Amino acid sequence: MARVALVVTFAALWIAEAGTPALAHLDTADRYTHRACPGIAANRSDPINLVFTTWGTWGRAESQIEAHAGWTVTSGSSQSFVDHGGCFSMHTQRASGQGSRFHVRIRGQHQDPSLGWVAAAGAHHEDLVLFPVPCGHAVDSSGPGGSGFDQARDELERRLAGAGHASYRVWWGNTQSFKQCDGDYAASDGWTVLIGLHQVNH
Amino acid sequence: MRAPLLGAASLGVALSLAGGGSAGDGRQAASQRVELEKARGFDDYALYNAGDRVEGFPLVAVLRRSDTAEFVSFVYGDCTPADDTGCAPPIEIQVWPACRRHLGLYAAPTGVSPALEQTTVRGVPAAFLDDGTRLELQAGRSTIVVFADSRSRVARIARALRAVDGSTAVRQALPPPAPGALEGSLPC
Repeated sequence: MARVALVVTFAALWIAEAGTPALAHLDTADRYTHRACPGIAANRSDPINLVFTTWGTWGRAESQIEAHAGWTVTSGSSQSFVDHGGCFSMHTQRASGQGSRFHVRIRGQHQDPSLGWVAAAGAHHEDLVLFPVPCGHAVDSSGPGGSGFDQARDELERRLAGAGHASYRVWWGNTQSFKQCDGDYAASDGWTVLIGLHQVNH
Repeated sequence: MRAPLLGAASLGVALSLAGGGSAGDGRQAASQRVELEKARGFDDYALYNAGDRVEGFPLVAVLRRSDTAEFVSFVYGDCTPADDTGCAPPIEIQVWPACRRHLGLYAAPTGVSPALEQTTVRGVPAAFLDDGTRLELQAGRSTIVVFADSRSRVARIARALRAVDGSTAVRQALPPPAPGALEGSLPC
């Protein structure tokens, strides 16, 4: 009886272990944040345009964004991220101010065997719209540096690369346009930046 | 900064080719608007849309990006954004020059690129992404990207595509990709 129990236990452990690699990866099946859960196409809100890797836990992302970019404001609405079929509220957010500002929402995602700890993020630059109708924050549609999504992604890449963090770009093509509260539309240029984080917090 | 944008409803179909001004400082968008006839004459790359209405949704806006992205977008239907939270219109058709966007971009050996479901639609190479809510088609020197909320709707919209200049009608075969368009060697 004890032998049977032992075999069952080992079998269960083997199945669990064998099943892990199939699940343990950065899930790129959904490349947008969502206004609510469940995360479906109709409630997409922002493109995911940053992935923090290596020691990319959400807490380290928060700490290193604060240290290198100086984005320390915590205000903003919540959004949700999809990971391996589940939908979860974001873990944290940081912004560069209260008015027109850079803003990023972050969620720690499933660990990846190649990338290490991983956090997905949606970053943008947004204007505080006061005229003609005050509506709040709206992501910039376009400009020499791209949309507000592109500007904030590039700003964080610049700031962290300047502090020695390695980064590279991948094409995700998540360029769907999103209507903003000022009636304008904003879209990513489709490139996502992966930035390595270090273990030590600031 | 505000993007070139105009309400298509008031103009039929028109194309806005430039813009400026910041919503934050209260300036109005300064769009150069180009009427339908000029849009039809847009010859940087062929434009495709689904007409004035598709799946019950009217064409509400035509956008153009020409910065870190390069596309003309046809937006169908409306949604309600909030402070700090944008919303996804029900249907969008983006047309990019194939030299800037093509299926070969997804082949980067990074392990984190999206998986393509390659297929053929209207006689040209295409791929579904995002669980079927995005379809990318390579036609001539253009890459057409359809966004909607389901695979079946995306497929129906693909069947409704037609060239804005009238050169390709609904359900007609789309022009085959220009040499180099699939690999990214097509010059801009």
